[in-house]
Amino acid sequence: MRRSVAALAFIIIFAFLILGMSQLRPFGEPENTEMDDYFLYDRDEGSQAHNQVNNVVTAILFDYRGLDTLGEATVLFSAVSGVVAVLRKVKRSQKEVHG
Amino acid sequence: MPVYEIIFTLILVGLVMTALAVVWFKDLISAAISLGACSLLLSLQFYLLRAPDVAIAEAAVGAALTTAIFIFAIRATDREEGYS
Amino acid sequence: MNWKMSRVVRTVADVMVVPIIIFGVYLIIHGHLTPGGGFQGGAVIASSTALLIIAYGSFGKHKDSLSSLESTGLTLFILLAFLGIGYTVFYNFLASGGAVFGGSVHYGINPGRLDSGGTVPLMNIMVGLEVAAALSLILWMMAKGSDSMDVEEVKG
Repeated sequence: MRRSVAALAFIIIFAFLILGMSQLRPFGEPENTEMDDYFLYDRDEGSQAHNQVNNVVTAILFDYRGLDTLGEATVLFSAVSGVVAVLRKVKRSQKEVHG
Repeated sequence: MPVYEIIFTLILVGLVMTALAVVWFKDLISAAISLGACSLLLSLQFYLLRAPDVAIAEAAVGAALTTAIFIFAIRATDREEGYS
Repeated sequence: MNWKMSRVVRTVADVMVVPIIIFGVYLIIHGHLTPGGGFQGGAVIASSTALLIIAYGSFGKHKDSLSSLESTGLTLFILLAFLGIGYTVFYNFLASGGAVFGGSVHYGINPGRLDSGGTVPLMNIMVGLEVAAALSLILWMMAKGSDSMDVEEVKG
């Protein structure tokens, strides 16, 4: 029973993956090349005019949405703080009290 | 059928297989390495879908660092899953 | 304490660490021209740390230096963000005419120029420093913490 349910779920998920793959654009032919003209080459609002940056992804990450990058760096900092706080050296006398 | 669709199909089959193998393995180190293989295939798929930023981040974090951290964590505990 | 893998692994690690670090630095300082950036380059540099820790198995005393490096990166990033406070936070005040990275790009398709971008490459460098130090510190603490626990204590 469990095995057949797992097989059915596998077949359904795989069919959805194949279906989604068949809807893709052909390789090397993006759908919207005019978005390049809007984001990158526009002389008033493009990334090359605003920031002198060729890479639009980096321009968005570090300039337009820089505050989100600051939040991501803060998340990483608190992750490191948590790891250092959990894995610090334990005093031997405390363990003897507990054990 | 063009060649890139065949490559996409093979990578998707490999993704589902490795993701099932993570759940199926009882040996935790095998499961961690299979998770690393799943991340590597996912980064290859990202690269073929022309998102090289995400592909580099996935390959570095998912395939290298996460596997190393999992193996360091498994070293401190039991290697087999479940209670013996 | 020290597990120290075989000579083949250590030699391959010695050979491979330098290209990995160079690739990470390339990803960081060319972040405004090619795909990549601070986070990706920092993760690549941290993976070289993982290679060294796994191959050699000796840790050293790098906790304080890594921690201060990470704090330095984050503080400089916030400081650089607040330097443009006359207009807005995260204002690109160095673009096209500033002191460093102040060159201007050509419009249209161009091969790219390293001396351009204003504060974006500087922020890439700061975030790369922070991410490399943070992920290396996580790996270092995990390796040291898993190594110092003995099995009796975990099972009991």
